[in-house]
Amino acid sequence: MLILLWLKGLLSRRPGRLLGAIAGVALTVALLAAIGVFIVASGATMTQRAIASVPVDWQIQLAPGTDAKAVTDALGQSAAYSALQTVCYADSDGFTAKTKGTVQTTGAGKVLGIGPNYRKDFAPELRPLIGSLDGVLVAQQTAANLQVAPGDTITIQRPGLPAAEVKVDGVIDLPFADSLFQAIGTPAGMAPQAPPDNVLILPLQQWHSLFDPQAQGHPDSVHLQLHVRLIHNLPPTPIKAYTQVEQQARNLEARIAGSGIVGDNLGAKLDGTRKDSLYSQVLFLFLGLPGVILSVLLTLAVTAAGSDRRRQEQSLLRTRGATIGQILQLAGVESAVVGTGGAVLGLGLAVIAMGLLTPGTLLLTVNSVVWMAIAAVVGVGLAVAAILYPAWKTARSSTVVSAKAIIGNSRKPLWRQIWLDGFLLTLAFVVFWRTASTGYQVVLAPEGVPQASVSYDSFIAPVCLWLGTALLTLRLGDVALGRGRSTLTQLLRVPLGSLAGVVIASLSRQRRVVTSSIALVAIAVSFAVSTAVFNTTYNAQARVDAELTNGADVQVVVPPNSTGIPLTMQTQLKGLANVAALQPMQHRFAYVGRDLQDIYGIDPVNLPTVTHIADAYFANHDAQSSLAALASRADGILVSAETVRDFQLKSGDLLNLRLQNAQDGQYHIVPFHFVGVVKEFPTAPTDSFLLANADYIAKQTGNSATETVLIRTKNRDRASLLAQIKPIVSPLAGVKVTDIDAAQRTISSGLTAVDLRGLTRIELSFAILLLVGATGLMLALGMAERRRTFAILDALGAKPRQLGSFLWTEGLLVLLAGGTVGVLLGFGVAAMLVKVLTGVFDPPPDVLAIPWLYLLMAAIASVLSTVIAILGTQSLSSKASLEALRDT
Amino acid sequence: MTKLSPNLLIEAQNLRRTYHQGGSLFTALDSASFQVWAGDRIALIGRSGSGKSTLLNLMGGLDTPTDGTIAWVGLGPRETLRPAKVAFVFQMPSLLAPLTVIENVEMPLLLGDTPIEIARTAAMEALERLQLTALAQKLPEELSGGQIQRIAVARTLAYHPKLILADEPTGQLDHPTATLLLDTLFNTLKDTDTALVIATHDPLVADRMHKRWTIQHGILQTDSSHNGLQTVNATPQPKLSITRPMPKNSAPF
Repeated sequence: MLILLWLKGLLSRRPGRLLGAIAGVALTVALLAAIGVFIVASGATMTQRAIASVPVDWQIQLAPGTDAKAVTDALGQSAAYSALQTVCYADSDGFTAKTKGTVQTTGAGKVLGIGPNYRKDFAPELRPLIGSLDGVLVAQQTAANLQVAPGDTITIQRPGLPAAEVKVDGVIDLPFADSLFQAIGTPAGMAPQAPPDNVLILPLQQWHSLFDPQAQGHPDSVHLQLHVRLIHNLPPTPIKAYTQVEQQARNLEARIAGSGIVGDNLGAKLDGTRKDSLYSQVLFLFLGLPGVILSVLLTLAVTAAGSDRRRQEQSLLRTRGATIGQILQLAGVESAVVGTGGAVLGLGLAVIAMGLLTPGTLLLTVNSVVWMAIAAVVGVGLAVAAILYPAWKTARSSTVVSAKAIIGNSRKPLWRQIWLDGFLLTLAFVVFWRTASTGYQVVLAPEGVPQASVSYDSFIAPVCLWLGTALLTLRLGDVALGRGRSTLTQLLRVPLGSLAGVVIASLSRQRRVVTSSIALVAIAVSFAVSTAVFNTTYNAQARVDAELTNGADVQVVVPPNSTGIPLTMQTQLKGLANVAALQPMQHRFAYVGRDLQDIYGIDPVNLPTVTHIADAYFANHDAQSSLAALASRADGILVSAETVRDFQLKSGDLLNLRLQNAQDGQYHIVPFHFVGVVKEFPTAPTDSFLLANADYIAKQTGNSATETVLIRTKNRDRASLLAQIKPIVSPLAGVKVTDIDAAQRTISSGLTAVDLRGLTRIELSFAILLLVGATGLMLALGMAERRRTFAILDALGAKPRQLGSFLWTEGLLVLLAGGTVGVLLGFGVAAMLVKVLTGVFDPPPDVLAIPWLYLLMAAIASVLSTVIAILGTQSLSSKASLEALRDT
Repeated sequence: MTKLSPNLLIEAQNLRRTYHQGGSLFTALDSASFQVWAGDRIALIGRSGSGKSTLLNLMGGLDTPTDGTIAWVGLGPRETLRPAKVAFVFQMPSLLAPLTVIENVEMPLLLGDTPIEIARTAAMEALERLQLTALAQKLPEELSGGQIQRIAVARTLAYHPKLILADEPTGQLDHPTATLLLDTLFNTLKDTDTALVIATHDPLVADRMHKRWTIQHGILQTDSSHNGLQTVNATPQPKLSITRPMPKNSAPF
């Protein structure tokens, strides 16, 4: 009965107190559930993307003389599969072609034999460029070397056998040449084998007729592979999926021991993805956990705002004879109502938020339900910690008189006595300095090793900075409002007049509450700022990464060594409405010793007009000086660090390369001089490449063709520009037009840029809610609890402006002090996060990107909520004064 | 029509105050007509919930009537009543928790734009008169109930109002403390023309007043047989010897 009465009283007399606490718990539950479910969904998406990006799951290399059927039977027992194709590989001493009156000869090459259904089962492996996809196909680079086109004849040199001739039906690109020609069975950690420069693909029957005799004479030069696509019934998390695929592969190898080795492409991909998955978990911890902690703090603060009243009620109950057990029962009921209400509301909010912010991620899987249950339990626990625990503490340790006290004693807490804030800040800077100077990796997932780990040491610096600054804010706030009281009074004498003294005295005696509010606002602001800055920097880098892949907003590319994109066509493209700038670029191949590398011919002065050239692209971390060095020397060349190491190059050294000449189609020596080291460059591959002046290459090779055109657009409507460009360039053979948006979507499979967008969308939305809670809601609740004070002031005759003096001083002090500390802390934490999570970025950012619009919105939200809280309290104080005056 | 007199502080005709309570209309005060004169000592007697507080709030301008008229003839417009002319002493503790005793006492003066030094002096004098200077730097939570109410009285006396409205000021106090509080109040007001209206249901308190008004279910009955009123009007009380702190005309805010 007592419980029902109490509950009824709470609902009718203190709805604000209950709703405030329920809202706080709901926010925590919603944030935790949304992030948890999102992480689960993100893991599943990563796994699906990894699976989708692998064209051939397993390449089983059969030992010579192995019965393929026995291996196929064993495969069926180890794993379920949906596609199986036999692919034959043969070594060739080289290919020759006679075109345009000249004879071109290549070095050693590979000849593959594929069945008629291979393209259907493993379509991504072969990308058509020119001609048919049936019959004899020649790889793009080989076609360039031999200067052949569909209809031409190629002579295949076979070891120990006479040369054989085949007629070319089509030219293709091999996007996954690395895995197609991988060396299967090499120990983990060995350098990957480069794919062959020269490749021909024959129909299976034709291959057998040409190379079965070669297999008899030179069995080592011929081998068979089974290409397999598995049925992807895998666990959603990349780590578990990797483990399962790896176990199946090992199982098959055990079954076919001696007959074949499994090239586990899917396992390798998932192996890399689990690293990304761990990174996303680290990002969750770095970005999500502070939000959850903040919402917990906010809930505790919201309930603490009513703690004086609760203590007084408790004291009254004890005075009237209630036992401690009864008091705890009542507090238990209140915490049960708050916990249950908050959990239900929070889960509902999470579902709505995810539906709006990250559509498609809310899947009812076991893992997501578990996350929701955890969030609900945390919510109930939070309510118990916020309401029941303080009641129990008060009941056990305080007297009736002390429970009535509002101001209480001002004994220094232990953390202040031992200077914990100073210690944490020192630790943060020492650990950060160590981290930054050693450049270690946060995520360690050694290739081929099932165990992966996260270096949690990296959390120490930002966490300590966060905690240390929050505690330092409490200390400084306490000092400013304590010892600095007279100074503050002097400062506020002009705006507040004779009331300055009592206003500051009032704040000073309540400084424990006021400084807590300042610290809470600082934490909320820092959370919003650090998340937004990190997110914007991340997105900016994702764009840089996409620009690195696509070259610029739009890229038009034709195969290397083709006739190129004519100048008239470039002029036509330049004239399109949405084209801001256009730059041609050469893409050829050059022999560095025996190694064939991509070489890019650029205009170093004008290229930056179409694309961002980041400092991180160069070893000297200075894009401007590197490009200037290239521009200052016509035969200058920038090479990869690997080439510098292999050839022991020093600045100014002569480097002789062999480039294909347009006159005879043969590779001739062209002298260059080494001017710098390039690590990455727009459109260039991730391995070794060369960067030189386009004019010099054109002059030396007699070929001024442009293989790539980079375009910077005026606005974001790239889709319509693409639609305009495509008809213009369509006559060009093998032409490809892509925009940066498509590149960004492709890259997202690397470190889930799309997924991080979802995470930050949740984070940034909740950050605004938390900010509003920490500023306006906290202020309103705190002031509501002190409405009797304001009612007394009103009864004493305070005019609205005088009542406003108390309210505005407190509100603005909390907002300005907390906001200032929060902005500084937010940028500090963001800078630390970017540095600590360098591994996430490819390449690392030059500077932090600042989300001005979001920060402006956050500032407006904070100011508005503060102003509304103050004006609302001011209005309610005068209206409700009579009722408040009757309250105890 | 009553002849206007500088000693007439309040004149009310047919005051009515109703509240909406749980969907029905509750009449807290009905057709109350009265006059309050300078120097009046009025006991407003009635049970809890009879309308005493409502009447005091209307008299002090804290509330507005639903019907009827009230004029603060000798006090000026309603907006100027507090803090300079009308003071309240509430039944419940009404000190501001985060301020010390001296800061609480000087608060009404500061709200009246009195310069801080003058306000502090007047507040100390009020505390001295009530022999409470020892408590000047204490916080309200360090005081007993009786001390808090005496400080509340000191706060009203510090700025010499023309009318003090006390809503059961001894309701929360034991008998000796209540007696001490009333002694203090009466002694301080003895030689002033400050009117005092005390709402009470304690006959001992009522016996010390010149006039006795009763209120039952919102109906007010004033005691017109008492002649203290005429005495006050006929022979105005000498002004208080202590100089009233003058409010500043325009304080910058």
